[in-house]
Amino acid sequence: MAETQKKTIVVTRFDPDRDEAPRQQSYEIPVEPDWKVLDALNYIKDHVDPTLSHRWSCRMAVCGSCGMNVDGSPKLTCKDALSEYGDTVEVTPLANFPVVRDLVVDIEGFMDRFQKVKPFILRAKELSVEAGPTRQSPAELDDFRQFSMCINCMLCYAACPVITNEPDFLGPAAIALGHRYNLDTRDEGQAERNKVFREDGGIFACSYAGECSEVCPKHVDPSGAIQQAKLANVIDWLTGLVLRRGEAR
Amino acid sequence: MSHARPVVDAMKPSKPGETRTAPPRPPDGFPSQGNYRAYVAFGFGGFFLFTVSLLVLRAVWALGNGEAAWNRVQASFQNPIYVIFHALAFLWLSWFILRLFRLFPATQPKRIGPFQRPPDALLVAGLSGAFAVVTLIVAAILWGCA
Repeated sequence: MAETQKKTIVVTRFDPDRDEAPRQQSYEIPVEPDWKVLDALNYIKDHVDPTLSHRWSCRMAVCGSCGMNVDGSPKLTCKDALSEYGDTVEVTPLANFPVVRDLVVDIEGFMDRFQKVKPFILRAKELSVEAGPTRQSPAELDDFRQFSMCINCMLCYAACPVITNEPDFLGPAAIALGHRYNLDTRDEGQAERNKVFREDGGIFACSYAGECSEVCPKHVDPSGAIQQAKLANVIDWLTGLVLRRGEAR
Repeated sequence: MSHARPVVDAMKPSKPGETRTAPPRPPDGFPSQGNYRAYVAFGFGGFFLFTVSLLVLRAVWALGNGEAAWNRVQASFQNPIYVIFHALAFLWLSWFILRLFRLFPATQPKRIGPFQRPPDALLVAGLSGAFAVVTLIVAAILWGCA
């Protein structure tokens, strides 16, 4: 029988009631070849140290709960194979977020940013039921489909160097989502969102590191969305300036 | 962009929560690892852009101040330090522009007017080709001047 492989998982621990600052704790555990990083954390929680705190839910890269930094890179731990790492794997909470406990980060700041971009269909006037469904062609849907794939895992925020230096920055996911609704033919809220986009910390705060798109597990390409939003806003602003008709679509 | 603000403000909630939290860390590996290196190097290209712009302004100023001033500027072009700086600036800015071209396709919407966006490779090749042609034309003109 093959000998069980062992790995050392180095985990950030932080108890707000006891610890002044986060610290590292190592666990040597037996691992299976098909394990994801999340399986190792769950093993520690279930068999070694029940005090370990981490978020997870769906285990199939859909809910976006289990984002953590693994060996320095933001990853969805339920999608990231443990076998891709060496004998020692370091798991830390997502960078750029305050830490609530161990590997759990405070997402309030993230949710605040989402609210700002009004991530829902805005209409100047509600359509009546008699008007029937709003039609949208496959080509029109294809314009924003990619940006609607975001699962709010916050990996892009953990990878963004602008967030570190510009605390007011809306950030990749929120802008990508706002841009997604701006591209939606059923939506009429571009003017409202573009005001938010052009504020301090809006789209023009992005200096295009592009790392958000690198780490995105759903290939949303938020950095592309931000650059597209910049271009659309410049055209929108110029159109309004020349035609004197305020915010153009 | 304010760089003076402390890192601990990043992703702070609008209203303070009841739980004490540990301050956030900046992204691991910044600025020395992975894609961050290219990002920082790209930003450093601003040094060359700024310095070359000053040198161009100096040449323009000399043009408006008589033949002697212009001759002095031309003579300074022979200085080895300037030649080395200009060679470095050319290499850096070429890389700077080519990286910009590589990033360009992602900034374009899927449809441009009624047309589908051209393939990324075609956009990059087109921009790079145009850059090469313009550089050669400018080089030929300057070579003729020299």
